Amino acid sequence: MIVIKGIGWITLTRYGSIIKKLQGNYNDLKSLHSHLQHESVLKYAIKNFGRFDAVSKMTCCSIAIALNDAGIIYSEHMKHDTGILGTNNDGCFESNLAYFKDYVSCGRTIARGNLFIYTLPSTPIAEAAIYFGCQGPLLYIKFQHNQIPSMLRYAGKMILRGETSKMIAVEANEKKAVCFVLGKQDSASTMKALSLEGVVDTIEKISDFDEMIRMLNN
Amino acid sequence: MTETKAVVVACDIVTPYGWGIDSCWNGLLSKKTAIGRLNRFPTESFLAQNAAVVPGLTYGQDESIVIKMLKPLLQKNIYSIPEDAFLVLATTAGEIDKLERHVLNESADAASSRPDKLFEKISLLCGLSSPGIIVSAACASSSIAAAQAAGMIISNERDCVMVVACDSVSEFVFAGFSSLMALDKDMAKPFDRNRNGLSLGEASGFLLLMSESRALRENRPVIGEIAGWGLTNDANHMTGPSRDGSGLALAIHKALKSANVSEKDIGCFSAHGTGTIYNDSMEIKALRTVFGNHKVPVYSIKGGTGHTLGAAGLLEIIIAFESLNKKIVPPTVNLCNIDNEASGWVSSEPLTLDGSVTISTNSGFGGVNSAVVLKKY
Repeated sequence: MIVIKGIGWITLTRYGSIIKKLQGNYNDLKSLHSHLQHESVLKYAIKNFGRFDAVSKMTCCSIAIALNDAGIIYSEHMKHDTGILGTNNDGCFESNLAYFKDYVSCGRTIARGNLFIYTLPSTPIAEAAIYFGCQGPLLYIKFQHNQIPSMLRYAGKMILRGETSKMIAVEANEKKAVCFVLGKQDSASTMKALSLEGVVDTIEKISDFDEMIRMLNN
Repeated sequence: MTETKAVVVACDIVTPYGWGIDSCWNGLLSKKTAIGRLNRFPTESFLAQNAAVVPGLTYGQDESIVIKMLKPLLQKNIYSIPEDAFLVLATTAGEIDKLERHVLNESADAASSRPDKLFEKISLLCGLSSPGIIVSAACASSSIAAAQAAGMIISNERDCVMVVACDSVSEFVFAGFSSLMALDKDMAKPFDRNRNGLSLGEASGFLLLMSESRALRENRPVIGEIAGWGLTNDANHMTGPSRDGSGLALAIHKALKSANVSEKDIGCFSAHGTGTIYNDSMEIKALRTVFGNHKVPVYSIKGGTGHTLGAAGLLEIIIAFESLNKKIVPPTVNLCNIDNEASGWVSSEPLTLDGSVTISTNSGFGGVNSAVVLKKY
């Protein structure tokens, strides 16, 4: 049976987790990064966090909160078999525009490599894989409907198919992010976990992000 | 209970060699490259001026390049694409030339470059009524898409999946790779001692996968089987591979295990082989880790087709099936002076293929790795 071991979420001013009921406010993503490090939610600084695009920042911070919620310890020196599945509605559309506008404004002679690397929808989760040491499958999938329930079901199937032992499933854009840590139920574990089907049933018909977080908290 | 097999029942491609699988296969066997001088946009200020593009496509007007590639492929009636096929679209940039036009002269709507718009067009071109997904994982996008499609079939979730892959040579992408110093000033020379980067290419294609039972029921000709796969991430660096090839080696080990075959069963190996110094070196290290001193014939098609990005994996799977069915290991085009590391593994000449199983691998930005095991049917 696949269970959800941790959930982390971020809006433009707030963040929180579902199992450990962590909650807090923040001003900007730079201060969130510092705050999460201070609270030991981030175990060490995210290298080059300042040059990340907004979706990558939201992705990494929400994963840190979710892993903390799941009680999972990670280290930059210890890679582990965890996959990451990312999704959102817009892919990297804003980063595409930012990169190409910058290139055109420079007279179409030289592009900025640091903007170019964020023109892949999989870059935010790749930044996360590097920081958290996730060595499992890494892919971005855009689902046609019900992004978050579809993403959770898909991540669960990847575990059941034996592609990896744990999955991080994250939906992130510039304004909000929610991340789930999925794995097989471990009867020996004392950590609280939520059933995948239960969570999917809870959020299936909710389109509003704040309402979804409220329902998950209940 | 018998295990469900995922088999390919139809496929087609358009590459810089031209339309169809035969043109690409014959182009590779001719040892001539399709990489040439790029005239789509000004390239004087870039690191390179060469790329491999599909002949005859006009750039910057009306439809996007990927639609110009896909329309003739998908509108052919000969493939009988079932209406209930689940669509998996693999791309990194899709119709990015539409975004270029929006920024340059507002002759297109930027939002029309979004992959979900492309998905709708492809679904319509194929006449599909089922839902689907868009998969993006850098240069491993379409091999991962094919693996996921096979996974859906093997786990009995679906019995028919259509995988479509596409990416084009655009100013957007060309300028970006140039800024990363990733382009060879001349042409990509995979596994060559004098290699110095990749050449961009473009391609589109599709794989129609079915469960073996449905393929038999519908009297479909079976081209080959996707028998297993392994997906990993280096978790190391955004634009460069893990130097020791450990991430790719792990993907190959996972793929062999998933297909229930051993390294001794592998007849040849379709490498990612971009022509960059670090990628090709990393791949040989991964091969040594997996195969030890048992040297299997290795080839890369990118000296011929260029690096077709999100379409590369699907194109290479199709060429690998051709290789299995024709019992020929294609030559590595543009290979003149074999790098010492690769000596005994790669060849500039076609070889006879001894075996019925091959592995196709891809690696990409963000450290993504895929290995797909393909079997002759």
